[in-house]
Amino acid sequence: MKQTSVVIIGGGATGIGILRDLSMRGVDAVLLEMGGLAHGTSSRFHGLLHSGARYAVGDPESARECIEENMIMRRIGKQCVEETEGFFAALPEDDPDFAARWVTACKAAGIAAEAVDPDEARRLEPRLSPRVREVYRVPDSCIDGFRLVWHNALSARRYGGEVLTYHEVTAIRTEQGRVIGVDAKNRVTGETVAIDCEYIVNAAGSWSGAVARMAGLDVSVSPDKGTLIVFNHRFTSRVVNRLHKSSDGDIFVPHGSVTIFGTTSTPSKDPADSLPTSEDVTRLLDIGEPLFPALRSYRILRAFAGTRPLYTPNNAAGRAASRNFHIVDHMDEGLRGMASIFGGKLTTYRLMAERMSDLVCRRLGVTTPCRTAEEAIIPDPAPEVLERAARSFPAHGIRLVADRLGDAFGDVVKNAAREADNGMLCECEMVTAAEIEYVAKDPATHSLHDVRLRTRLGMGTCQGTFCSLRAAAALAERHVNFALSPVRDVQNFLQERWRGLRPALWDTQLKESELNRAVYLATLNLDGACREQNN
Amino acid sequence: MSRTTDILVVGSGMAGLMAAIVASEQGKRVTLLSRGCGSLNIGSGCVDVLGYVNGQAVEGQPLDALDALPERHPYRLVGREGVEEALKMLSAVCARHGAPLEAAANGNRRVPTILGTLKPTCLTLPSCRGELLETAASALVVSVEGLKDSHPALVTAQLRRYPHLANIAWHEAHLENPIPGAHRNLSPLDIARYVESPEGTAWLAAGLRNALRATPADVVLLPPVCGLSNAAWEAVAAAAPVPLVEMPTLPPGVGGLRLYTALKNELQARDVDMVENALVTEAECDGKRCAALVAETACGRRRFAAKAFVMATGGFMGGGFLSSPGEAREAVFGLPVLQADGSLLPARPEDWSDQNIFGNHAFASAGVMVNAAMSPLRIDGAPALNNVFFAGRSVGGYDFASEKSGNGVAVATAWRAALSACAQC
Repeated sequence: MKQTSVVIIGGGATGIGILRDLSMRGVDAVLLEMGGLAHGTSSRFHGLLHSGARYAVGDPESARECIEENMIMRRIGKQCVEETEGFFAALPEDDPDFAARWVTACKAAGIAAEAVDPDEARRLEPRLSPRVREVYRVPDSCIDGFRLVWHNALSARRYGGEVLTYHEVTAIRTEQGRVIGVDAKNRVTGETVAIDCEYIVNAAGSWSGAVARMAGLDVSVSPDKGTLIVFNHRFTSRVVNRLHKSSDGDIFVPHGSVTIFGTTSTPSKDPADSLPTSEDVTRLLDIGEPLFPALRSYRILRAFAGTRPLYTPNNAAGRAASRNFHIVDHMDEGLRGMASIFGGKLTTYRLMAERMSDLVCRRLGVTTPCRTAEEAIIPDPAPEVLERAARSFPAHGIRLVADRLGDAFGDVVKNAAREADNGMLCECEMVTAAEIEYVAKDPATHSLHDVRLRTRLGMGTCQGTFCSLRAAAALAERHVNFALSPVRDVQNFLQERWRGLRPALWDTQLKESELNRAVYLATLNLDGACREQNN
Repeated sequence: MSRTTDILVVGSGMAGLMAAIVASEQGKRVTLLSRGCGSLNIGSGCVDVLGYVNGQAVEGQPLDALDALPERHPYRLVGREGVEEALKMLSAVCARHGAPLEAAANGNRRVPTILGTLKPTCLTLPSCRGELLETAASALVVSVEGLKDSHPALVTAQLRRYPHLANIAWHEAHLENPIPGAHRNLSPLDIARYVESPEGTAWLAAGLRNALRATPADVVLLPPVCGLSNAAWEAVAAAAPVPLVEMPTLPPGVGGLRLYTALKNELQARDVDMVENALVTEAECDGKRCAALVAETACGRRRFAAKAFVMATGGFMGGGFLSSPGEAREAVFGLPVLQADGSLLPARPEDWSDQNIFGNHAFASAGVMVNAAMSPLRIDGAPALNNVFFAGRSVGGYDFASEKSGNGVAVATAWRAALSACAQC
């Protein structure tokens, strides 16, 4: 039996933000996540740190929150943010009245929207359509959702917060209208863990409806599926939005070495519905082509989908449903010791965590104020660590690795120094053997797939064709074993990548798939070996 | 300016090179156009004939299993005698140029790979005698430091998961990287190039001797680093106290380059015209007769007239097929790329593949439908062109990856297509 003050359910940005906030205020807290951290919506979005401009006309309150949080994130989470700025571009067919209203609304919300001469805009973004009529510059930026969640987890751990991944909540225990604990199942070992607590925070995103039902509560959360496309290079240097009433397929976000383009909005019954379809992909291409005329000639790496946890108490749906967040104290429904947070967006995750933590602290009688907006999530690495790193990492990759690893950077640099040759196993994402070994040995890592989520191994151009074998081999060499044999682990890894390729299987991505089959099936007989070898 | 030749072959993978050799041997004047180096060059050099039929491993001689294949399979179209004849010819050519191909006595050879798997194949160079493992009591797996794709620990961890190899005493060793200051990715090809030199041969021979002194074993497995030529391999193998087996690896493989070099040497000896870096963009046809192909070359746009044509342009990877959502066509003549049963590929891209990555994918066996002469067919089964023939991956009806039949089908279809082309002139 474990004991804590607060159990947080859900290891996305919101839940992990709450864990960090409460831990910084000295409140004992344990976070339960049924999968790996950020496996849900926090990693299944376009990676846009909103300036708020997108919401300026339709939802001024969200817009104001976005711009404030955007500025805070640049300060506290600079390792997760690439300060690219953004363009809003209108084509001749877009309503000029909307553009005028939008400019006024941005001003009212405190969002700088500065007109850029279309020729100048095309000089800066040469792939943009020559037909653009009006362009504005806004403080949009890019943010890495995976990394943000991990960094918050590292920060929370520093303050004593505990994270249990692959722990699925099976029951919420109550006694006389009051929460007394949670039961969870460890999905790796199958064991049941019982945790006594005073308070439960439901931050399970698209799954929050199901969690609330375990406590006998009925809430209206409607998963809304959004599909996105990943292209294999950066064809824009900044975020590019279509300047019209928010719609499907109007946001392009450069992200590391790729560009993410989306999204769609389709009501879904299943919060785990993350299967993209070719209809979504081709429709997005149709919609995106007017802004980037050569869009269809760019190679698609994969498509992916996630569900937005829309809070829909009034039966609003799709784009009409509010993107704002809502905190529900279930005391109003007769259950003390539990609150849920619904809706919202990644840009405002910190504010959501602050509001929820304020409520929890009020209920627990804690008066320590929130400090998450002041303190950097990850401290800067010491100059001497960076200097040491230069001996084992390629110069152009050090910053990237330091930003990605956060607290773990010092340890990885130490390990790298012991390697005879700290081989670069994934060239696209600059992942070296030392980093893979360190992440693989983390207790939260159970497979190459988990290694990918933290390091971005296999997320680049080769989609795992070269680096998955290398990583498996390097781990075998270092005697790091998972439950599955390396060969089966590689198979699972490639299978997961395959899922995102199928809805866009034509042209260059089909070429790449035939190469992948030539290597793994024809040359290495991976398929035959999976049938013939014992695990 | 138009150049004339009897037979124009397009593509320099296994199928293109082989078709050019067959046509030249028939006394025809041959020109070979190639855009890149083909995928033979970067492959393992194993000549797979047939490893699996519907996921079942082929026991015994692969040629005996051809009858189990569907009627439209290219092997069935070429016929067993044809396949045999073609493979014999390939072996003869390779032997003439110092790349002797050999088969195991009783069926497919199972070659260990750097993934720690066994891969069934038919003809290989002498460096891939995988069956040596089956009688070994101990094996030493060797790699060179800095080779990112070859780790002995992975090979031993996986090979012992085969029940029949579980009792072998497995050992691992690393040789020092002989190419100091290699800042880029070191591949087996880099080491093989070094081993081709006399000091490199001596380095590898000494390294293996020392490794075996420290850890005696019945057989040594290593990545394909034993030189670029068979002469270098023979020198290393002769100096080694125990038999060596080279493991197929990720591209660039070295075995493929050895075969490629042998076939290119044969073409040079036969005075075949070779035009490299030529991308065929269009065909000049009069009804069902092709008069010439037009290509973008290093010297601009050029027209290549011929009496007959062999297209060995590859599939999706090689550039022989163009595809867009739900549609695919052959790149030069615009022929339909059809499923193995002769029907159009599905309109929905998801239906081109199975959700299991190892499943039965429609795209994998899709290609140009041909008759027994390798003459392309329209979707209604009628001949599409009279003097154009297809070979290799551009032919539909087989899945080289799951069957392990790539080079075998390439050789057999090239042989047939070249003879059909010769009959036209």
